Amino acid sequence: MSEKTKSKRFKFPEETSVIFALILLIGIVGSMRPIFLKPENLLNLAASYSISALLAGCIVYLLAMGEIDLSFGWILNLSAVVSGLAMIAGVPVWISIILGISAGGLMGAINGALMVVMRLPLIIVTLGTASIFQGISLISNKSGSVVPTDEKLRANIFFRALGGEIDTPIPFILIIVILAFFALHFTLHKTRFGYRILAIGSNPEAARLAGIPTKQIKILTCTLMGVVSGIGGVLFLGFRGAVDPSTGANLLLPVVAAAIIGGTPLSGGAGTVWGSLVGALIVGVIGVGIVFLGIDAVWSTLVTGLVIIFAIGVDQIVRVRKNRIS
Amino acid sequence: MIKEIRKSRWTALALTAAMVVTASGVATPAQAAPKKLTIGFVVHVIGNPFINQIIEAAKMAAKDLNVTLKVTGPAGAEGDAQLTAVQNMAASGVDGIATSVPAASMVNGLNAIIKTGMPMVQFNGLGVGVNAPYVGEKSVESGRLLGKMVLDKIGGKTAKGDVIVGNCYPGFPVLENRQKGVLESLKKAPGVKIVGPSDVKVDSAANFAAWQGLLAANPGALAMVGLCAPDVESIGKVNAAVPGSKTIGAGYDLTTGNLAALANGTAHISLGQTPFIQGYLPVYVLVDSIRNKTKINFSGFLNSGTEIVTKTKVIQPFKAAPLTFPQLQAMSASNKLTRAYYDKLVKTYIKDWRKNLAPIAEESA
Repeated sequence: MSEKTKSKRFKFPEETSVIFALILLIGIVGSMRPIFLKPENLLNLAASYSISALLAGCIVYLLAMGEIDLSFGWILNLSAVVSGLAMIAGVPVWISIILGISAGGLMGAINGALMVVMRLPLIIVTLGTASIFQGISLISNKSGSVVPTDEKLRANIFFRALGGEIDTPIPFILIIVILAFFALHFTLHKTRFGYRILAIGSNPEAARLAGIPTKQIKILTCTLMGVVSGIGGVLFLGFRGAVDPSTGANLLLPVVAAAIIGGTPLSGGAGTVWGSLVGALIVGVIGVGIVFLGIDAVWSTLVTGLVIIFAIGVDQIVRVRKNRIS
Repeated sequence: MIKEIRKSRWTALALTAAMVVTASGVATPAQAAPKKLTIGFVVHVIGNPFINQIIEAAKMAAKDLNVTLKVTGPAGAEGDAQLTAVQNMAASGVDGIATSVPAASMVNGLNAIIKTGMPMVQFNGLGVGVNAPYVGEKSVESGRLLGKMVLDKIGGKTAKGDVIVGNCYPGFPVLENRQKGVLESLKKAPGVKIVGPSDVKVDSAANFAAWQGLLAANPGALAMVGLCAPDVESIGKVNAAVPGSKTIGAGYDLTTGNLAALANGTAHISLGQTPFIQGYLPVYVLVDSIRNKTKINFSGFLNSGTEIVTKTKVIQPFKAAPLTFPQLQAMSASNKLTRAYYDKLVKTYIKDWRKNLAPIAEESA
């Protein structure tokens, strides 16, 4: 009995190690440039990386299922384009937002359906659909930026709140993303849908034999990724006030890196939503740290790689130590 | 096991120390001399030969003006990543920022930074609506000029045949403007059929493959016209691989590879957008306005000029000293020669930037 109590006392959350790595990185940059530790800088940093963090939180679902989506950046882009064009066409803002998010969900569902019907890994399906979504976006926006400039639109609370015109102690986008993280964490770890995803990731055949409707779950998970990417697109539109043809093009690497740094294995069967948030912040601190420390652009790519290895190293050391104590 | 963990811990500490030393080693000396002005210089892509020419010119300006220059930018051209870099630069306490603006989604964020009193200058990529002066070429006009030169080479208004047009980054505003100008000029020849504009990609290997495919699909095309820095070099290589090819190769920027293609006759026209001015002038404007305590939170256009280069002719803007093609080639590989050549412009056009500031509408006139 006392052994059990002891064991419980020393059970750290699985994100402990990656949080430690984040604090260490913040400490290093902060000790060299104390201005970095100003709360407004830290909040702005978190806000700037919030959309990629949101996507990282959801890509955890796919990684946990043993799949990976290459198209979410373009789903985000096209969802934002759909929403922005609808607003420009005079559709009420809130309906335009729903249209954008629905478009994201539809694209995700298409990915999932193709994966199931063609019996191909999602990575292969999304190699193709990524280009399709990008192409539709380019055709829709006539290879230009979509900028809802109408004064009435800009005065809408959606743009004012997300664009920072309404003063809040914490950026509005950050509040939304944190709420989304609670929902994503709850869904993955506390619902039957989440357990089924993890079961499929652990052993797809065993999951099927256990009666889990694997095809349905796969399509639903891809749809969820699409919906979250759509939310990301709509948030981007409100946050930045415009969407460009290149928006979302470079999200793949930081988002997947955030999930992996956060502790989600590529092998499937496990995943941590909160870990991906910390992973996204680590990626963010590296980017900000490079600027704050005045590291020359030519060096920045090398330093980014080294620091990622460093963060993963610290994470691994703490993980080993934590397991030993547990 | 404990020994292993301890060993790992020491390894982690050593790594930490290494990171700190590395970071300190490459940090600019601004931290040691807080009174010296620090200018942030944010480009839209790192590792591009043309952008490197702009960065080198900015560094020359920083050296001349005795200020510290911090250069940063995302690895791939993407507006949000670049805006984040600009925001980080502002938060790090620089005195002024020069940035290219490749995306409309950067405009609100940049104006929010300018509103805090941060002096800013745009270069190379214009953000319509940003309250800061812009240094760059007249993008539509330079496209018209390139289109006209190509048309002259293929037989003027009576020319008949295919002309392939490639855009390495569809949607990039400056490239779209150039494209508009090129197509406008080419359409003056009713017999010319425009193939494209096709996406020919930024990456040099993908760019070459795209041009190779386009020429294979359209053998006997009269001309291949690119809008980006890697195009002329790629077109040259594609032409070289087709014995007896008479296809005219034309495009932008005076990188070493592009000039080599002009020199060996596999490409024929390249327009420069004076990277020296695009790098030097933004830093000069920032330092000048900060030192003289004048505000620059308004839009305006500072023309960087267009350089016209063929194997036999080099025409420089702003009545700069005449140059031969070999001199231009030597300059493209030497910062020292570049700085010496532009010395007269630094003392006239750049020094008198206020007189040359035009309404922003002139950029796309």
